[in-house]
Amino acid sequence: MVEAIALAHGWEMQHDAAVVVLGQDVGLNGGVFRATAGLQERFGKDRVQDTPLAEATIAGMAVGMAAQGLKPVAEIQFMGFLYPALDQIVNHMSRMRNRTRGRLTCPVVVRMPHGGGIRAPEHHSESTETMLCHIPGIRVVCPSSPSRAYGLLLAAIRDPDPVMFLEPVRLYRALRQEVADDGRAMPLDACFTLREGTDLTLVTWGAMTIETLKAAALLEERGISAAVIDVATLSPIDFETILASVTKTGRLVIVHEAARNVGVGAEIAAQVAEHALFDLLAPIRRVAGFDTVMPLLKLEYDYIPSVQRIVDAAELACAE
Amino acid sequence: MRTVAEFKIEYRQILNAGGDIVAPPPGFARDPGALLDMYRAMTRARVFDSKAVNLQRTGLLGTYPSCVGHEAVHVGVGAAMRPEDVLAPVYREVGTQLWRGVTMTEILTYWGGDERGNHFAGPRHDFPWCVPIATQTLHAAGAAMAFKLRKEPRCALAYIGDGGTSEGAFYEALNVAGARHLPVVFVIVNNGWAISVPVAAQTAARTLAQKAVAAGVRGVQIDGNDVLGVRATVAEALEAARRGEGPCVIEALTYRLGDHTTADDAGRYRNAGDVQAAWKIEPLLRLRELLKRSRVWDDAREAALNAECAAEVDGAVREYLAGTKPRTDAMFDHLFATLPAHLHEQRDLARKYGTSSGGG
Amino acid sequence: MSTFRLPDLGEGLAEAEIIEWHVKVGDPLRVDQPMVSVETAKAVVEVPAPFTGTVTALHGAPGDIIPTGAPLIEFDSGTVVGHMPPTADEDAIEPAAPVRPRAADSPGAVRARAVPAARGLAKRLSVDLASLRGSGRGGLITVDDVLNRVQAAPAKAGNGSFDPAAAGGRVEPLRGMRRAMAQSMTLSQAEIAGSTVCDDADLHDWTRRGDYMWRLMRAMIHAWRGEPALNAWYDARSQSRVLFPYVHLAVAVDTPEGLIVPVVRNVEGLSREDLLQGLALRRQAAHDRSLTPEELRGFTLMLSNFGTLAGRYGTPRVVPPAVAILGAGKVREDAVAAAGKVEAHLRMPLSLSFDHRCITGGEACRFLALVIADLERPE
Repeated sequence: MVEAIALAHGWEMQHDAAVVVLGQDVGLNGGVFRATAGLQERFGKDRVQDTPLAEATIAGMAVGMAAQGLKPVAEIQFMGFLYPALDQIVNHMSRMRNRTRGRLTCPVVVRMPHGGGIRAPEHHSESTETMLCHIPGIRVVCPSSPSRAYGLLLAAIRDPDPVMFLEPVRLYRALRQEVADDGRAMPLDACFTLREGTDLTLVTWGAMTIETLKAAALLEERGISAAVIDVATLSPIDFETILASVTKTGRLVIVHEAARNVGVGAEIAAQVAEHALFDLLAPIRRVAGFDTVMPLLKLEYDYIPSVQRIVDAAELACAE
Repeated sequence: MRTVAEFKIEYRQILNAGGDIVAPPPGFARDPGALLDMYRAMTRARVFDSKAVNLQRTGLLGTYPSCVGHEAVHVGVGAAMRPEDVLAPVYREVGTQLWRGVTMTEILTYWGGDERGNHFAGPRHDFPWCVPIATQTLHAAGAAMAFKLRKEPRCALAYIGDGGTSEGAFYEALNVAGARHLPVVFVIVNNGWAISVPVAAQTAARTLAQKAVAAGVRGVQIDGNDVLGVRATVAEALEAARRGEGPCVIEALTYRLGDHTTADDAGRYRNAGDVQAAWKIEPLLRLRELLKRSRVWDDAREAALNAECAAEVDGAVREYLAGTKPRTDAMFDHLFATLPAHLHEQRDLARKYGTSSGGG
Repeated sequence: MSTFRLPDLGEGLAEAEIIEWHVKVGDPLRVDQPMVSVETAKAVVEVPAPFTGTVTALHGAPGDIIPTGAPLIEFDSGTVVGHMPPTADEDAIEPAAPVRPRAADSPGAVRARAVPAARGLAKRLSVDLASLRGSGRGGLITVDDVLNRVQAAPAKAGNGSFDPAAAGGRVEPLRGMRRAMAQSMTLSQAEIAGSTVCDDADLHDWTRRGDYMWRLMRAMIHAWRGEPALNAWYDARSQSRVLFPYVHLAVAVDTPEGLIVPVVRNVEGLSREDLLQGLALRRQAAHDRSLTPEELRGFTLMLSNFGTLAGRYGTPRVVPPAVAILGAGKVREDAVAAAGKVEAHLRMPLSLSFDHRCITGGEACRFLALVIADLERPE
């Protein structure tokens, strides 16, 4: 997946001279995960800039550059280091268009690794997408495969508004797939149905698509036909696809790695309750990270929801 | 036109790369015992560090940030601090932690992915490792404020890297420390590299020490490979702060001989020749040379010390590897002083699906 | 013999390529000695020997790509000194085509839509929702739809077909209190594991006749203090019961519109006068149909003094989540054996029904014995 991200950068920089890349170690080093590998060689130091080690600098500069006609694609090295940049994102990036009634805009992409599962150090494994989804005026996107990373990143760069692009670290190297470098973007307002099903709808995103698809396969052996939906665009969410599936199956289990409390899953559950309650055959269930601090690596897989937890929740839902 | 402010930054070196004393030596430098203690501590840190990297390479440790080349700063700072002072480290200061009584097993436990490594028995008031860059500098300022309010003769010392001095939190810490005249010392370990970004790309400032000037704080640059200079300078800064003379910024020039962490490959962005040159001026060489010239050291003692350190490290590794995995529900044990009732259900769920019912 | 598997050398690396082996089969190895150079997606890394021992096998030659977690080298007499769990299995999944499918099925066409409470009730009462026609908006099945089916069902079962017109009867939909009674009794029938125990209280020693209601309530409070298990709620879902530190007593009141059961709260703390007054007020309100929903909710124990009308014993029904109801039959003179002689004593027949799911027979009988003991006191 990491190569697909580099490809999307390359395509768009080739075709749009306004696109510039900035971040820590994105230049000569090609990013700590190699997501910008080769870009500085190809496009030069002006368009692929190593910034000083300061996240507020990255986000604030991106606001300034974007407002004056560039299309910055910024990398935050890990999601745990995003927080100094939130001031800029919440107070400026997300609302420049609104504040100026459209006179100035922020077509910025802020990319960041997301989630755990790679034995990384402290503060490197959190999933805090909810914080971003709560901010009006920015899109939040989380791809779950190389081709979706490619297509959604292109769409994010082309979008006229700020997009937070969360890249699941567990998938950077775990998923291999041929990706056509054809410059084709994917919609930023659509879920991806990864698997059709009639008994149950499993809704998830990011790296948890792996466990969720495995759970769906196990459920099939037990005679339960589970649909799997990759939300992909976490804010705004394409509820239409989710509601269509839930009204068909009548059962919904939401799976996410982030802590449960006020998670994106809660918003999905609320929307389904508002619009499809009478179609439900069973209470909505959430399989999520626990409402505690993401533990260090010895316990990180005790925190990340397991295939078994998803299967059990799905079977409970189907028993109702 | 008239000049309203001017500044100069002094550079200090006592022991040069050749092992010569090039400036008036501080009192402790005349005590071979003190020098040997420091040399032993630097060797201990280096042997430990090299083993930790190997443990990561063989899957027995998580990502680990090597401190090779930083031993003079780490040990010089450790020796200059008093036990009751508070350390706010970054994540690389193994040498200082070891000097202050954190055990090798505890350090391995943390980098092995177990929070119990932060529950060290040694300096109970010290802050734990700090991964979010520069945030610890404000903690040190806050600790210093606590000492000042309680009129305790104690100081806080925060480490920060060269890259970290680009963060807003660092400037904010300097500012408040200067404005409130706090007993805090900031030690910038300028090892030349913030992962792949060299200092020259971080800042246009000639030195990092001069960042103190804008905050009205004293700043000094020292040779970070010279343990005598580090210890003397840090000790003077701490004693001045203790006397109520306010904060100080010390920029220690050294070199990151290793990768940023085991997840990094510095060969991708660094010139091999620069690294080789840096190995010639690394901190252990010159102190060993000084000790040999003082006839308190020889190859046999060197071999014995290395063997002793290796044995100690092996013991710690055995203890670390024999340790129990944390219990699954340990992730809830210290979330709050008392776990709220609504989380009991989640803890039960974690236990049900968890893999570990082992240690604490 | 120990197998050393390729660890994750960076953060989330799936594999590494062997560049060069520094050892060969048969070589003695010391721990930490350079063993093999590998190249990952992030770096060229020297992997040191994890153990001391002798090499017995190398897995892979230079140029081979080894997945993380796969065997790299085998040692003899090497001691395994520790273990870190392997990283998560990261099987590649076949991602779906990046298209944007929309489920087109029209809701409701596939399955009956029902309000959640109706769905829950239908499940408890074994009603097939698909067989119902919903009376709500857009065919939505309501609680009433389910209840109507259940009420229609016995007649259907008994007569083979239920055609009120043919039967010459008058169709009268249940409304108000009667409908509420239907709902609560259906619930009682569906949920409660009912059991009833009967006995008599001998009122021969009473110094003052009448006042049955007050004495019954006092006896129940007395019994509750000695046997608190009957003043409770049972939740079948969580299989748990709630014991209360107070008694909210539901008292059955017969009205022309149907049975209604207002609640007198905290009876354990009320004086005789307050209690009787409270009861009288609620009875009046029941007849006036001015009881608020609040005055019908939250009871923890139930009482039916049906004997004011007729009847000796009965099987009163508990309404969940409560677990017990005491029924008092008609007080009359009985011929009783007293010290070898037959005497005429005034006696009150008692019927105690309880939910056997959470109350034992022993608890129920002890409770009843305490009720009788209090009732038989002269004053």
